[in-house]
Amino acid sequence: MIELQNVSKIYNQGDITEMCLFDNFSLTIPDGQFLSVVGSNGSGKTSLLNIICGSIPIEKGKVIIGGKDITKVPEYKRYRTIGRVYQNPAMGTCPSFTILENMSLADNKNKRFGLTSGVNKKRIDYYRSELASLGLGLEDKLDVKVGSLSGGQRQAMALLMSTLTPLEFLILDEHTAALDPKTAEIIMELTDKIVKEKKLTAVMVTHNLRYAVDYGDRIIMMHKGQVVLDKENGEKERTQVKDLLTIFNEISIECGN
Amino acid sequence: MKKTLAVIISVIMIMTLVFSACSKEDGESGEGATYKIGISQYAEHESLDNCRIGFIDGLKEAGLVEGEDFEIIYQNAGADDNMTLQIAQSLVSQNVDLLCGIATNSAIALYAEAEETDIPVVFTAISDPVQAKLDSGNVTGTSDKLPVEAQLKLIRALQPEAKTIGIIYTTSEPNSVSTIADYESLADQYGFTIEALGVTSQAEVTQAVDTLINKGIDCFSNLTDNNVVNVLPAILEMTNEAGIPVYGSEIEQVVKGCVASAGIDYYQLGIKTGMMAAQILTGEKEASEMPYETIEESETYINSDAAEALEIAIPAEILETATECSD
Amino acid sequence: MLDLFIKTVTQGLIYALLSYGIYITYKILDFPDLTVDGSFPLGAAVTAVLITNGVNPYLTLVIAMAIGAVAGLCTGIIHVKLHVRDLLAGIITMTALFSINLQIAGANMSLLGSDTIFSLLPLGDMGLIYRKLLVSFVLVLIFKFVLDLYFKTKNGLLLRGTGDNENVITTLAIDSGNMKILGLVIANAFVALCGAIVCQEQRAFSATMGTGQMVFGLAAVIIGTTLFKRFSFVKGTTCAVMGSIIYKTCIQAALSAGLPANLLKLITAVLFLLILIVGSIGHKGEARS
Repeated sequence: MIELQNVSKIYNQGDITEMCLFDNFSLTIPDGQFLSVVGSNGSGKTSLLNIICGSIPIEKGKVIIGGKDITKVPEYKRYRTIGRVYQNPAMGTCPSFTILENMSLADNKNKRFGLTSGVNKKRIDYYRSELASLGLGLEDKLDVKVGSLSGGQRQAMALLMSTLTPLEFLILDEHTAALDPKTAEIIMELTDKIVKEKKLTAVMVTHNLRYAVDYGDRIIMMHKGQVVLDKENGEKERTQVKDLLTIFNEISIECGN
Repeated sequence: MKKTLAVIISVIMIMTLVFSACSKEDGESGEGATYKIGISQYAEHESLDNCRIGFIDGLKEAGLVEGEDFEIIYQNAGADDNMTLQIAQSLVSQNVDLLCGIATNSAIALYAEAEETDIPVVFTAISDPVQAKLDSGNVTGTSDKLPVEAQLKLIRALQPEAKTIGIIYTTSEPNSVSTIADYESLADQYGFTIEALGVTSQAEVTQAVDTLINKGIDCFSNLTDNNVVNVLPAILEMTNEAGIPVYGSEIEQVVKGCVASAGIDYYQLGIKTGMMAAQILTGEKEASEMPYETIEESETYINSDAAEALEIAIPAEILETATECSD
Repeated sequence: MLDLFIKTVTQGLIYALLSYGIYITYKILDFPDLTVDGSFPLGAAVTAVLITNGVNPYLTLVIAMAIGAVAGLCTGIIHVKLHVRDLLAGIITMTALFSINLQIAGANMSLLGSDTIFSLLPLGDMGLIYRKLLVSFVLVLIFKFVLDLYFKTKNGLLLRGTGDNENVITTLAIDSGNMKILGLVIANAFVALCGAIVCQEQRAFSATMGTGQMVFGLAAVIIGTTLFKRFSFVKGTTCAVMGSIIYKTCIQAALSAGLPANLLKLITAVLFLLILIVGSIGHKGEARS
């Protein structure tokens, strides 16, 4: 379970550009829930993810994961149970490493990074089968540098790498936004498959309202650091893209756009 | 891509060619009775330049003719400690008959490189050859140890009331450190106290001058410390404004505007070194048998203009023997 | 002539150890580490003082490495834990080291007449030139293999990953800051080792001998990687060694051609620029094909 309790986040505090994004914000994401977050730019979607992962500090409130208060825990330690995929495909892989080296690195998460061989030859078959499940032919390119792969291939790698080892939470930060529609579709289906197979608690930020409607079991819409729409289960299933668009437009008119 | 690679390779090859051509040329010109002498000088610096010129004149004074009897290969490290060894290697490989190191770092590098060959090394402008471990082996030369006592006497004669002498020196320079020790041990005898202030780089010198002026010192005395000497004009500007005289450590500093100096003449030091080198070249003596030498008598240099501006009266007996350096 | 060539290659080999350090900080971690200008003479000061006090010259290398590692640790902590910018963190340590080096050595020192790692080896009456070549070659080779092996270990992958994409390392639940510190520790151990060997080779410690070493190392690594990156089988460490030898050869060529030392820096700069330009042309060609 991920809980945000009375979180306040102020950007540029004490500066003339000071901006309070979250004021007493609370959100609870139960175990096993696949939550989609939508909202306009600057509504606080990505900040929400950054607060969960500890990438940015908060001024007030608590972040609780699995019953433990992790507000003071540094970012890197939180990733012991969290996997994260970013909007930019380059963020999730090491470009100068081969596919094999990238897989080996990810495979060793939460184990000791000692002075034993970085690539475990016994695991190569396992990597191959995992890569084959992506259906992109990467299983035959183990010695190719990831930097020379396409954005879609790299994003698929990033998704696979972030979920290779046992984990509880998956954070998806507009992870299909930089991809072409077809690749985005493949990655989205893959994401759904992994979340279901591994029974993950997932938070997905997306601008694609159709994905938000089609995937996951809860949808929230953010605006100016607040949840303006929150639907789950049956209610969520009845929600359609055009309903979301209507609310979107109302918000936009409010803002004078 | 192949083209660029080819370009690079050819550049390297050309450089190697130039490299070998040069050395070959040098090898061939070493025929006949000509002695080849390699000079490695640590930095561009008037005193060191005077040493080098003196060294060559010393060879001539010993009866050798430049071009006929000897030729000079001269290299300057530009005060870069990493160049001294490469220069030494370059000179040793050119089969010189004698090596001359001007200033400590260059001389050590020459000797380290020449130790296994039978090339003798002659050094000059080293204050403390013992500390530099250049006092034994196939090496000899001249030391530019400062005549500290003479300098103290001179200051006492020109400023009978003076109490404190300020000295700025580089802490990493062993020559300066040992000279400061000399000053401190002799100061009492002449009724002075020494206010020595260490710096680590040239950039800190002018600040150090301010510090010492504020402490109310009566005069400055310079060593042959490169960091200090290099910014002498700036120092003099500050001290003249404050009305504090500066005493130099050799002729060039007095020419630049120091009031006076009991110092050694680097040109003379060079001549002495050159004559020692000639003895080694002609086989008269072995470098290993020759102890290093110092110049015993100090010369007095004065700059009457500078003294007048600071209202310092120069006693007649000093004027008689001193060399006038004002223009 | 042959002697000079051997000596020049030896110089290149000895300084290759410094290039290893710069390869780790600059090429792998993308960290412009100015500590080098201080940790190089630090190694020299340590070895000079220890040898003067009768310590075995080989042992002094180990101690110099350990103390160089501490210098790297300082820069790492200043940068990672105190959040000082990379360049400034290096400058702070370098500046402090200037004083520390002088505290250690007292003042500039001469090692003439003392045994060194080169003279100590029981190699009969082998000449010093060949001893230097042999010792430096063996040291460079050993450390090349050690580094190449390390880069292939799990920990080595982490270090390379930290420079390649720090974000991946963070999401692996690893503190990338610690990896940076580790990289700086290893790099400065190599730099101090190089300083110690150079000190034993030219048999003098001088407080200013570190000036420009970081620039030399950068030039060597960039020259090496630019010239040899096309050949995928050439490892980064080999590039660092080759770059170092090429750089020293160019300097010696310029010296032997009778160019005044005062012009050498300018020539170095021009050479450096040329190689970078040639390298980037090669890059474009690659992209087109």
